[in-house]
Amino acid sequence: MKKTLTVCPYCGTGCALYLVSDGGRLIGVEPSVTHPVSRGGLCVKGWNAFAFVQHPDRLTTPLIRRNGELMPASWNEALGLVVERLQSIQQRYGHDSVMFCSSAKATNEENYLLMKLARGVFFTNNIDHCARLCHSSTVFGLAETLGSGAMTNSIACFDQADLIFVIGSNTTEQHPLIGTRILNAVRSGTKLIVADNRRIRLARHADLHLRHKNGSDVALLNAMMHVIITEGRMNRPFIENRTENYAAFAENLREWTPERAAAITGLEAGEIVVAARLFAEAKNAMIVFSMGITQHSHGVDNVRCCAALALLTGNLGRPGAGVNPLRGQNNVQGGCDMGALPDVFSCYQPVADPGMRQKFARAWGVADLPGSPGLALTHAMDAAAAGELQGMFIMGENPLLSDPDQAHARQALQNLELLVVQDIFLTETAVLADVVLPAACYAEKEGTFTNTERRVQRLRKALEPPGEALADWEIICALAERAGYGGMRYSGPAQVMEEIAALTSSYGGISFERLDQHGLQWPCPDAKHPGTPVLHVDHCTRGPGRFSPADYRPPHETADDDYPFVLTTGRTYFHWHTGTMTRRSHLLDREERSAFIEINPEDAGRLGVRENDIVLVASRRGEIRVAVRVTGMVIPGVVFIPFHFAEGAANALTNNVLDPESSIPEFKVCAVRIRRIV
Amino acid sequence: MKFLSAERIADFFAALATSFELRLPVMLPDGTRSIGTLEDGPIALQGGALDSKPTAVFFPQQEVVFTARDGEVPDTPLPARPLLVVGLTRCDLDCLRFIDRFFAGGWRDDLYFRQRENAVIVAVSGYCGAGGSLLPLAAGNCDLELVWDGSCWLVVPYSESGGSIADSIADSTGSGALQRIRTESLFHIDEGDAIIRRASELLRANRVPDSFWEEIGDRCIACTGCNLVCPTCTCFGVQDWRYRNVVERSRMWDSCQLAGFMREASGHNPMGSEALRSRRRIHHKLAADPERWGEISCYLCGRCDAVCPTGIGIVAVSQELVARFE
Ligand code: SF4
Ligand code: SF4
Repeated sequence: MKKTLTVCPYCGTGCALYLVSDGGRLIGVEPSVTHPVSRGGLCVKGWNAFAFVQHPDRLTTPLIRRNGELMPASWNEALGLVVERLQSIQQRYGHDSVMFCSSAKATNEENYLLMKLARGVFFTNNIDHCARLCHSSTVFGLAETLGSGAMTNSIACFDQADLIFVIGSNTTEQHPLIGTRILNAVRSGTKLIVADNRRIRLARHADLHLRHKNGSDVALLNAMMHVIITEGRMNRPFIENRTENYAAFAENLREWTPERAAAITGLEAGEIVVAARLFAEAKNAMIVFSMGITQHSHGVDNVRCCAALALLTGNLGRPGAGVNPLRGQNNVQGGCDMGALPDVFSCYQPVADPGMRQKFARAWGVADLPGSPGLALTHAMDAAAAGELQGMFIMGENPLLSDPDQAHARQALQNLELLVVQDIFLTETAVLADVVLPAACYAEKEGTFTNTERRVQRLRKALEPPGEALADWEIICALAERAGYGGMRYSGPAQVMEEIAALTSSYGGISFERLDQHGLQWPCPDAKHPGTPVLHVDHCTRGPGRFSPADYRPPHETADDDYPFVLTTGRTYFHWHTGTMTRRSHLLDREERSAFIEINPEDAGRLGVRENDIVLVASRRGEIRVAVRVTGMVIPGVVFIPFHFAEGAANALTNNVLDPESSIPEFKVCAVRIRRIV
Repeated sequence: MKFLSAERIADFFAALATSFELRLPVMLPDGTRSIGTLEDGPIALQGGALDSKPTAVFFPQQEVVFTARDGEVPDTPLPARPLLVVGLTRCDLDCLRFIDRFFAGGWRDDLYFRQRENAVIVAVSGYCGAGGSLLPLAAGNCDLELVWDGSCWLVVPYSESGGSIADSIADSTGSGALQRIRTESLFHIDEGDAIIRRASELLRANRVPDSFWEEIGDRCIACTGCNLVCPTCTCFGVQDWRYRNVVERSRMWDSCQLAGFMREASGHNPMGSEALRSRRRIHHKLAADPERWGEISCYLCGRCDAVCPTGIGIVAVSQELVARFE
């Protein structure tokens, strides 16, 4: 028997757990009782985190497409083929004809190495990962207003807030062990405002539940701030001492009366006033948001408003307050921190800056590095669809299910001359690949993940990977070697972290030894630094906090006669994203077996559909069949479909329209029609 | 009476490890106390009930039921050496007795008894609870008991195998300290005991309205932790993993807090609401089991109250229930 302390591979909460193994077989998990985040608990996904690891579907050998079929091959052949064909494409079409997709499921070290491979070995800034699809608008919006795109506060701060304002986060389902902190806080007197038109669990405990229309967040937040200003409830000293651009911002809010916002949001003007007063009256008020804010064609504007609300009321830079985007994936914070983004090296050091390029080129022992920002993931798919991108290397992502407008994504992937997928299972995307590389999963390797509160934590190897599968970092290093680059020889991830620390100030004091047992929160600039639980304490990272005015733009698509329902998409509690792991975990799979649509009883009555009926849901881009769930969870006129299920893929319907600044797709709003078929 | 000084404990278990498969309380790297092997961490007998349930040794979270090769199911070999399981408290022993009876009833669960059959059970008690508090004497229900009297472990055998282990120890002492602990144990009162008994009465008298369970259900995130850490929860699910020519059937702990636990093929679910599932969790232990077995099947090990992220373990719920409906 062996118990290996590691980090849950699912959400960004970053709970710690022990993997229990016996004779090389995983037999369960045990929570860590001393962990500052999980404190002896786990959610259902954590309790089942062992269950998929040794599933028979795991990839065990490299696969190469021969005569149209994926056939087992040796590592030697597969690695050689990948490098040879990537290089051949680059010779014919230029360096930027290939795209590297990194993974928020992989470790910091692996994300760093893939960005090093893309930039240092293949000389392209075409690297991105699924943060593009979840929090790119946060990173953009908060960098502009505060200077750092991360959660300003810590998970412990939920216990210290007097008011928590949750907007666009189904926290008890998507960050369950943060959600339970909110439930507990409410029981001990913390006020709760929930703004989300689904009647999520938190709403049942809220002092105020605002069921505003999808995509009307800017109107709601602007009107709240209008009320705060006109009633003189803003924090004047904070505004004077710590912010800039207030006058222009306040001017822009002048027209945003609650009545005007009421017409857009579908709320009563009075509800908006109550929300504004509750928020402004609280001593410490915390803003919590997630995909409901970010996944819009105006995602950055939504984020600007959240930041402004905190600045306006001085809720920044101390425990129990702040602007708190909850990062979804276990390591999406780390993926961004490591520079798996088209425009920055690790910790947001711009590639456009010649000094930065020089620094990295020298450290990596290469002559030069590319200087113009590369393609965002979403643009890369467009480029591939248009025949302007020829090769794609995807590590641990499943864009065929996770990207908007599935038909478009499929066409893009099929259009490629070379598609390489490195993953733990043969995903829907891997099925389309020319070469598939079998990777080790979180339980089979060492490394670090950075959770949503910027806590860098170690995962540890509990058992050997199946068959010939290798850790992602080993595969990346082998590819570099094949490509003739000798600068990626490491004894292990600890040594990669040393290199990261040397090149990245906020990770400067981080080393594997120091991360025992429960990690460190960045910024942690030197070996003595204790880590930073709260950002922007004396001043914002960028200096003064910036008020950025935002004007309301409606979602790109709204309901009309042809497509009379608004569809919003998301996840369920029991599944993770495209289900590659959770649908192979018996209990999680049993809980939610197939795709469904949530329909309000009123709408169901009108459509003549009952619970479990199968309906055809169509948008302008595609159609799917899903089972009906009649529920007051959604308001009339709005339906919800989770995107986990390949056989009823919500993303066959969604709209690939992007936020102009962050390139995040509008997953949260599109128009659909519904017809009963069984 | 035989005794072991704290310093002798390591040698004592090292010697036993030659004839038994040892499972004992260990301190894991981050301070979590769990049942493990000598390789997993330093021995940690002190500190009270283990964070995870020791009965997992006989009924782990997931285990292989059988592996069929080309349609044949070969017999699973018995374990080479018997288990010696250390660290059960008096509550844990009550739980073990309860599930022993459950797994033996009807069809006998050979998977469980394959490990359980010849296992030697070593309890701990005395002043080795959290912060040196008293863990009441088990006084039976086990093969051997290690009783911490504040300075050494008194060794109290109850069975033949326990006796021969005790015989192997050289040092003897008087039994005065044991007498004192025995008496103190008689007066040891767990406050939770009265609470769950009163809650049980209320439930059996049908005095708890549905609205109460709706409130509790609203606070349950269905993490399943309460069931998974409970030593008297025995429900399991079954899965088949298919490889080429091989089918491997395994079972894993299940939870009545999951909607899928009772969902029918039609989609209908007799336990279809969070309120009903929350009620069931408490009702089963405090009302159904007393009728079936004549005893409440919560022995106050405290684990579900510790693991529940929203504070609705069985004692917490019982407290609310008594405060509101008595
Ligand atoms: S809350 Fe998140 S990190 Fe914690 S156990 Fe659940 S999925 Fe894992
Ligand atoms: S431990 Fe608490 S939250 Fe989890 S299933 Fe049990 S009662 Fe619900």
